[in-house]
Amino acid sequence: MTDFVRRHPIWAAVTAILAAILIWMIFALWPSWLVDLIGKKKVFLNALFNGITLGGLYFLVASGFTLIFGLMRNVNLAHGSLYLLGGYVGYEFAELTGYWLLAFPAAFIVVALFGILLQLGVFRRMEGQDLRQTLVTIGISIIMADLMLWGWGGDFYNISAPSWLSGPLETILVTSQKRSGDLVYLKYPLVRVVIFLAAVTIGVGMWLLLNRTKIGMLIRAGVDDRDMLSATGARIQLVFLGVFAFGAGLAGIAGVVGGTFQSVAPGEDIRFLLASLVVVIVGGMGSIPGAALGALLIGLAEQFGSVYMPTYAVVLTFLIMVGVLAFRPQGLMGRS
Amino acid sequence: MSVFDPVEASHAAPSDGRSWLERIPVAYWVVGLALLIMPAIAGDFMLFQIFGWTFILGLIALGLMFLGGYGGMVSLAQMSIAGVGGYMVAIFGVSAIDTISLGWPWYVAIPIALVIAMLFGTLTGWLAVRTEGIYTIMITLAIAAAFFYFARQNYVMFNGFSGFNGVLPPMLFGVDWRDPAAFYYLTLFWAALGYLVVLYISRAPFGLALQGVRDNPRRMSALGYNVTAHRVAAYTFAALLAAIGGILLTWQSAQISPGTAGIGPAIDILVIAVIGGMRHPVGPFIGAFIYVILKTYAIDALVTLGLAGERFQLLIGVAFLAIVFWSPDGIIGLWDRLREDRKRDPLTGRGGEGP
Amino acid sequence: MNAVLDAGSTISERLGATGTANALELKGVSKYFGALAALSDVDITVRPSERRAVLGSNGAGKTTLFNCVAGDFPSTTGTIRFFGEDITQFPPHERIRRGLRRTYQISLLFTGLTVLDNIFLACVGVSRSRFSFLQPGRDDALMASAENLVRVVHLEDARDEQVATLSYGQQRQLEIAMALAGAPRFILFDEPAAGLSPTERSELIEILVGLPTHMGFIIIEHDMDVALRVAESVTMMHNGRIFKEGSPAEIEDDPEVQALYLGGDDG
Ligand SMILES: Nc1ncnc2c1ncn2[C@@H]1O[C@H](COP(=O)(O)OP(=O)(O)OP(=O)(O)O)[C@@H](O)[C@H]1O
Ligand SMILES: [Mg+2]
Repeated sequence: MTDFVRRHPIWAAVTAILAAILIWMIFALWPSWLVDLIGKKKVFLNALFNGITLGGLYFLVASGFTLIFGLMRNVNLAHGSLYLLGGYVGYEFAELTGYWLLAFPAAFIVVALFGILLQLGVFRRMEGQDLRQTLVTIGISIIMADLMLWGWGGDFYNISAPSWLSGPLETILVTSQKRSGDLVYLKYPLVRVVIFLAAVTIGVGMWLLLNRTKIGMLIRAGVDDRDMLSATGARIQLVFLGVFAFGAGLAGIAGVVGGTFQSVAPGEDIRFLLASLVVVIVGGMGSIPGAALGALLIGLAEQFGSVYMPTYAVVLTFLIMVGVLAFRPQGLMGRS
Repeated sequence: MSVFDPVEASHAAPSDGRSWLERIPVAYWVVGLALLIMPAIAGDFMLFQIFGWTFILGLIALGLMFLGGYGGMVSLAQMSIAGVGGYMVAIFGVSAIDTISLGWPWYVAIPIALVIAMLFGTLTGWLAVRTEGIYTIMITLAIAAAFFYFARQNYVMFNGFSGFNGVLPPMLFGVDWRDPAAFYYLTLFWAALGYLVVLYISRAPFGLALQGVRDNPRRMSALGYNVTAHRVAAYTFAALLAAIGGILLTWQSAQISPGTAGIGPAIDILVIAVIGGMRHPVGPFIGAFIYVILKTYAIDALVTLGLAGERFQLLIGVAFLAIVFWSPDGIIGLWDRLREDRKRDPLTGRGGEGP
Repeated sequence: MNAVLDAGSTISERLGATGTANALELKGVSKYFGALAALSDVDITVRPSERRAVLGSNGAGKTTLFNCVAGDFPSTTGTIRFFGEDITQFPPHERIRRGLRRTYQISLLFTGLTVLDNIFLACVGVSRSRFSFLQPGRDDALMASAENLVRVVHLEDARDEQVATLSYGQQRQLEIAMALAGAPRFILFDEPAAGLSPTERSELIEILVGLPTHMGFIIIEHDMDVALRVAESVTMMHNGRIFKEGSPAEIEDDPEVQALYLGGDDG
């Protein structure tokens, strides 16, 4: 940190000023000229929080994608299908048992098992053939999309959160002042906050696992040195399997989250596959902190985009991607 | 990976004294003649819908074959580039949306469309080659999606969700080029030209160098080649093929909308190229023919079998998966293997050619 | 043979233009792979027509030196000048286009193409036709120079063979032919004689000795006899450093060198 300040004093100053402005915009009561300029504070805060929580969801999907990619160099284009499968499985489970919380382990386990199947049946047979593996995952995603359409039809399913989570959370953030002088506080859906915190917990957990445990060291060594993988032989196969299962399972969990935030429906697979792609391209391929940063950026860009420049919301996302590719092709947190 | 095994040894040198006419293989005469007299045999639907569409999709996929087979770069943006080509003739030329279309004559609109599409392709390539190998597919997929969403949301230029209709080919030489037979010859001409040009370039310095870049980029730069520039140039050329295909596609349905260049069609082009095979420029056309036949008739077949017609995607997916699993070189790979088997000496089990 | 190589070349003009600058001038060049210093603080100066042998045990950093000069990987520190021009930051192809050439210790050839096409590619690479969409015609100048090079390295019989079917020795010869394409001003040969039979070896020596006299080169060679026959000066490397420089006789007689290299059981 101090190092950064010393090396890039101007950038550090700009960052500090921007951060200060942001903090002020979050906590202060907005003067009327600002409201005239960019609209109500409530809209701004909602976009901010929706962006952050959407980022949490994107992180859940993309972290599995980037983990699998980082270790196995497999661009798993069926990752979106795993997400959608998780959504449907979670929906069925929540309906069946009546417990929303049960949807998560169920989706995780089912999709992780599916991931194991993929790893054993497909990727292990084509080791080292990156492109062919990628093509296979495209085929699988086409097939899965149609099978799920067959099974669940084209309807939208919503996984409803339990009542204790469904209410709004009273925050301490002031959005405006009534004529009477009373302050209006922002209300924000509790479930989104809880899920975001869960995503952060999972992210931190993954980081700790990768950086502080022996198995994490093995995985990181594998990412750094492909040759070492062949040298360690059988044990790494188990790690592969574990990583694949875990990454797939995360996509499954994300499906449940997505089904709670929004809905489970055909087409969501492609949407979340694209989100994962953009997140890892922006963040840096194979990097967990990169996925977090990328997910946050993309989530915010999408939400702010849809509020402040609705026609070009999606394009904003891709402009970020193009910018990163042009100036830092390895991604913000990727190593060259 | 075997999709990209070196395309059979190419010869830059003229190899024998026969004239070029004599060196054309018999198969070319047969297929060429059959294609030329097709309008005498086939009905309008066959000509316009089956063959016309095959040639168009084949031409777009031919660009991908050029990139993938000779350059080792698999791009999912070919359909978007085709879309740009189609959109640009609609915007600069004539369409039913006369609030947007500029209505310029075809000899201005078409060159502009081609140039813009090639610029778009070049930019795509420039972005994609900045990272190594396998990322290409991710980046180009993301670019394809970006174009789709952009076209769908932009009403000023792209007319949003509904796009343009009434985009028709010019009445050149007094011919209605959307008349089935005329359209058949029009698409056949461009498909054949594209095929021959790709075949020719594969043995010209540019194509040879591209194959060299695919096999060993480090060696190529130690021979004085700018590897990045070569790759980007390959994207530009592939974009030209896609743009021609895109304009023809727009004329065929007389309209262009975001769905034409959606993510599904983008992946379909890859499916076509892979099913046909990326080792030879004939592959994309074989793949396109199979795709068109399936797309046209599979629904009926499925319904007869008691399945819903929508299961077409399943069929395509399974076919694609089967090809990737068992014959990475696509149908032409299967064909080659069959020929090899027949040539094999039954006693020694060795191939009939070479030592 | 000299005539063959001189045909169409502009070496003398270029030499005139660059005056008396050294062909290669390395100052403080280092290369680190992580913590490993494959090259440390190397200074080398080679005159335009000089023929230099580089000796050194396995892992001494000889190939790394070539990689840094040819640009295969950038050097970590130091500057590299080629005929007076600072090429340290140049990508490989820019260095090649300025007349530098190299061969690889482990042949890097296009095994799916024929011998002639490999050399043709090399000739195209240093010409302006790199992006040409036109197939070479019957009287194509580049094709003609490629055919000449086939003769220079005695591969006439294998001209139209696919490279994958060539013998090891023939592949080494092809590797050399590709480095002679265009108008080389200076060549880096990385162990061209390694693994060759005695006959192939003397053929190779003949080719090297027969190069136009103004064409300087550095040759990495484990075999002292080969090195001494083609080179007029010798650089000894050890552990990524320049250990000794001198005439062949001086190096041969140097007790330190003998202890370290000639007496050692490797090399
Ligand atoms: N790409 C690389 N990555 C990491 N280490 C490398 C790389 N290339 C070379 N090295 C290391 O640098 C050192 C010097 O290697 P170099 O190939 O230059 O030796 P050399 O003198 O050419 O040996 P040889 O006679 O075996 O060819 C060696 O320790 C080698 O392991
Ligand atoms: Mg070496």
